[in-house]
Amino acid sequence: MNIWRIGRVALAAAALWGFAATAAQAVELSFWTWRQEDKAAYNELFADFTKANPDITVKFESFPDESYPTIVSAALAAGHGGDVIHTHAYGWLEQFVKAGYFVAQDQATVPSLANMPADALIAGTYRADGRVYSLPFASQTLGLFINKDVFAKAGLTPPKTWDEFLTVSKALKDKGIIPLANGLGTSWFNEMFVAIFTNPFLGPDFVTDLTTGKATFKDPRYIAALGKLLELRDVMSPGYEGIDYDTAGQLFVTGRAAMLAGGSFDIATYRAENPQISMDFVAPPTPKAGDPGTVTKFYDGGYAVNAASPNKEAALKLVNWMGTKQFGDKFSALLGNISPIKGVVINDPLLAEVATLNQTAMPHINVVYFRFQKPTGSELLQGDITKMMAGSITPDQLGADLTAGVAKWYAPFQGK
Amino acid sequence: MIRDRRRLSDLLPRRRSLWIAFLLLPAAAIMSVFVAWPLLSAFRLAFYRFDGLMPSDFVGLENFRQVLTEAPFSDWTWNALHHNVIVFCALMVLENGTALLLAFALLKALPGHRVHQVIVFLPVVLSSVIVGFLWKLFLHPLFGLVNQALALVGLHGPAWLGQESTALGSIILANVWHWVGFPTLVLLAGMQRISKEVIEAARLDGAGDGTLLLKIIWPLLAPSVTIVTILTFIGSFNWFELPYIMAGLTGSPGGSTDVLGLYFYRTAFGSTTTGIQDFGQGSALAVLMFLLIAGVTAIALRLLRRREVEL
Amino acid sequence: MTAAVTQAAGPALDRRWSVQTGAIQALLLLNAFIMAYPLVVMVMSSFKTNAEIFTSPFALPQTISLANVEKVWTETNFVRYLANSVGVTAASVLLILVVGTMAAYAIARYKFRFSTLVLMFFLSGMTVPLKLAIIPLFIQLDTLGLTNSYAGLILVYTAMGIPSAVFIMTGFLASLPRELEESARIDGASELRVMLSIMLPLARPAMVIVAIQNAVPIWNDFFFPLILITSDNLKTLPQGLTVFMGEFTTNWGVLFTGLSLAALPIMLVYIALSRQFIAGITQGAVK
Repeated sequence: MNIWRIGRVALAAAALWGFAATAAQAVELSFWTWRQEDKAAYNELFADFTKANPDITVKFESFPDESYPTIVSAALAAGHGGDVIHTHAYGWLEQFVKAGYFVAQDQATVPSLANMPADALIAGTYRADGRVYSLPFASQTLGLFINKDVFAKAGLTPPKTWDEFLTVSKALKDKGIIPLANGLGTSWFNEMFVAIFTNPFLGPDFVTDLTTGKATFKDPRYIAALGKLLELRDVMSPGYEGIDYDTAGQLFVTGRAAMLAGGSFDIATYRAENPQISMDFVAPPTPKAGDPGTVTKFYDGGYAVNAASPNKEAALKLVNWMGTKQFGDKFSALLGNISPIKGVVINDPLLAEVATLNQTAMPHINVVYFRFQKPTGSELLQGDITKMMAGSITPDQLGADLTAGVAKWYAPFQGK
Repeated sequence: MIRDRRRLSDLLPRRRSLWIAFLLLPAAAIMSVFVAWPLLSAFRLAFYRFDGLMPSDFVGLENFRQVLTEAPFSDWTWNALHHNVIVFCALMVLENGTALLLAFALLKALPGHRVHQVIVFLPVVLSSVIVGFLWKLFLHPLFGLVNQALALVGLHGPAWLGQESTALGSIILANVWHWVGFPTLVLLAGMQRISKEVIEAARLDGAGDGTLLLKIIWPLLAPSVTIVTILTFIGSFNWFELPYIMAGLTGSPGGSTDVLGLYFYRTAFGSTTTGIQDFGQGSALAVLMFLLIAGVTAIALRLLRRREVEL
Repeated sequence: MTAAVTQAAGPALDRRWSVQTGAIQALLLLNAFIMAYPLVVMVMSSFKTNAEIFTSPFALPQTISLANVEKVWTETNFVRYLANSVGVTAASVLLILVVGTMAAYAIARYKFRFSTLVLMFFLSGMTVPLKLAIIPLFIQLDTLGLTNSYAGLILVYTAMGIPSAVFIMTGFLASLPRELEESARIDGASELRVMLSIMLPLARPAMVIVAIQNAVPIWNDFFFPLILITSDNLKTLPQGLTVFMGEFTTNWGVLFTGLSLAALPIMLVYIALSRQFIAGITQGAVK
């Protein structure tokens, strides 16, 4: 063999190999989230993505929830941070967008946006320019958990109206069962408690009135709804002021309590804690018979692309893939979350029930509308609700505090 | 032969200055680069308005004004400050008082004192996460040991951490349990430096434990008391970890356990469940906290050091 | 006072002594129980599942299951994190002691202009919540190339520990008598010699206090590592254990196990150091 020929073949082979190598440049994306619990599920999902896009691998990095905003802010301020960042929604997201940390997503770069319903997109939209910066990932629903076994054993049927709720609770108490597992020991859970029980009494018109300024939190509808909460003091365990989120869950899961006002995000948790549990997730009690059940819904956040990422194209590809039905189906199945993506099939019967309830749901008012600036509706409500339930302030005062505080930045309330 | 009598004053001033500089430089350099400079940068932001995560306009003292005089922010500020003062007074009496008694008890070197000395300090090495959670369990309204014990004598214990009237006190007690070992050791060290002759002379004069503690030991303990008091003051006003674990970032219930440390943190860094960061306002709060703590510390240090010298 | 008086007071003192001794021993025992019992609960909880912790927190564990320990072992890089914690804590405490004592010595033993200002500069580091500066600090470390490194974390902890170290050491060093110093100098010793051989050994108990007072919070801290350390093989133990803190569910049983295991080394260090401490004290007191 001629040495020149060998040489040319070798050179050609090298060139081809080099070309192939550069063409298939491996990119490793980092995915940042606070969902420490979901590591295994996301890794499985990312494996699917890499199968379809062999040159992109994804590394899952999680951080504890309370420190998450600090960690993300510090990293982004220094020009670092994950390529794809899991975000919360509404006001939480806006702070980061205002600083220019995220890439705007549109039809061209993220076609999956078309798979999202309008109210989901609002959660990830920056109000000032109307563009989406975070692709929605899940909705959370707040309603009433029912322990079917406890009810069956007590010979009672789960309540539909408020009056039924109170009657059934009394019967449960007589049998030594705690009617409602909730307590007031955890601030954010208190806010959910308020939303779950008051929304059926407020109705969607009230929410519209809030956004136009026709009503504030001083509106008689809101005050009346708050008043209803006071009636719940009798149906919670003695010492409920100190019962926190963890304990409430435990009381429900072990059957010591019959009902729990909570979120769909806990369906998977409770099942894991007690695989034998036979539970239902229903709408909270309605004002009167014949009313449709009203659960509370909000979008929990989405996936954003870091503006300082060196791999923006790959990151956008990943985010886009996380908006496809293929992703949504598996996501809901693995994580027990309701994906907003249109056409996603939910096989789990309980979760499917929740999805049906979602169609007539009301928004989680404070989270969706009042967390944009300080003081947020949430901080004001969480600070005052324990006082109201303890009797040191009246529902009117709470409504007034809430209105006055939020009016500092919420134009529709100013001057009311 | 007359040897070279060298005193400190004989050292050439230049050599002396170099020596002092050499001693001071490493610590000063590290602190300047990693503490002073970042802090000053952060303090500077107190004078800017924050819209989202980036500073926008220079607004002078606006953030300070808001935090000190505008409701609801000012309500929260004064509420938190009020609680810090309560914490300081309570800790001085409960924690340092107990520490003084324990140190005196250990000083006597009774049989088993070495074991006690170790045990008293064990809680100090624990992480606040453990301590906070353990005490939450003890104080639990349904199955907490405290309420179970009270039930045995027919009393009905309240929801300690759920009621505004008892929440702060409960966390303070948990703090005493956690930290009492530290002032005990410091005070014990101070007591052990008092010469034995002085104590023996007092005993011979017929002094009982009470007189010994109050009239002899306490005055001579001044340097240790200074350290303990100053550290307690600073710790009380920077209090963060234990209330964070036991009551949450918002100082629940209803702000009854809110302290400056918590308030500052959730203002500057936000909280996932209440919303957003306002770093300008947070920095203003931190500047105010700094002025307060540093100011009082400087004055207290002067007064306490004077007391040491006089004795 | 004559011997006769002492003798006369003898029996009375003895009786009072034994009643008081009894009372004091009782106080100490009560204290020991109050201190130790929660620790027992902590260890017991390590063997319980999450549900069991909530339903029967003070009962003995139903089964001595090592499931929690297994989980800590498999889901975290436990040994690596432990080694990192040991390294970072030891290096930080050492550095704090060295530079802090040097600075305190200068302030306490030498009169010079601005010495009060210098002291206040160091003390001011204690008076402000340093978390405030986390973002500028992060950016600064990033510029220096020190993020995600042992060196960066150690320097940050050192900077944070210097104020209290200087405070405590200045207090102790200032109270040491001048005669020893002066006589050593007259004998021809250099300043360095005076410091190392004469004065510092006397301040040993203070140094032990500073060491313990810094080692514990540095060992238990997870905030700064969370922000500054991102590589898994550099994580410290408390940081590594935060993986069990989910958004909604915290696996308390596993977290407890991890934290209990994390508390062991520092407890052993304290027990070892406390012997040193007692030895150091008696030496100083005889003077």
